[in-house]
Amino acid sequence: MTPNIAIVHVHNPHWRGVRLWIPLFLLWIPLVLLSPLIFLILAVVCLGCRINLWRAIAAFWTISCSLPGTNVHVRSEGNQVLVRIL
Amino acid sequence: MNENRRQILEMLAAGKITADEAERLLAAIEDAPVPSNGARAEEAPAKAKAKYIRVLVEANEKGGPTTVNVRVPMQLLRAGVRLASLIPVQAHEQFDQAMNKHGVPLTLSQIKPENLEELIDHLEDLTVDVDGKDDVAKVRVFCE
Repeated sequence: MTPNIAIVHVHNPHWRGVRLWIPLFLLWIPLVLLSPLIFLILAVVCLGCRINLWRAIAAFWTISCSLPGTNVHVRSEGNQVLVRIL
Repeated sequence: MNENRRQILEMLAAGKITADEAERLLAAIEDAPVPSNGARAEEAPAKAKAKYIRVLVEANEKGGPTTVNVRVPMQLLRAGVRLASLIPVQAHEQFDQAMNKHGVPLTLSQIKPENLEELIDHLEDLTVDVDGKDDVAKVRVFCE
């Protein structure tokens, strides 16, 4: 399953925190619209780097599908950054 | 009667061991794990497969404590190692030379996807605990 939402939470004791919900599923719209162009660019890059295009697409697709569940939380001197991918 | 128990009792009867020794041996047999066969193996709870690898870092610095808590899905690790298959064949030699130069005798072409899968599977049993000097920093890596 591809990632649907990313939560980014930044907190600072001297400044109002920010909690962002980024709807990643909306990226599908520009991605589908620009897919011919993206495919062309990818093909040229893969050809230049002598990489199998289909294998590259498969690898990146697998990685993006594996992203949900990733959680990064860093806290230092009262500052906090939290990134969650759902 | 259990074969081991019978042997101990025979040794006791033959006078080869004392009653105290026999008692200790019998106690040791009772405490020993039962070999996994048949119904016993089925009764044992199946080990849950780890879904995430977690990295925890706690450091006490001058400005205050710093903590880093990273949870990465095992699936992402599996996908990541597949990126190795994207490395062009021409780059393998350069990579091997660079690794050798730094004292790591690794031949990239000999690493197969099955090896990487096996490596990831065995990560489930991995636990790394690092304690720094004077409890300044602690690092824990484990699967959950």
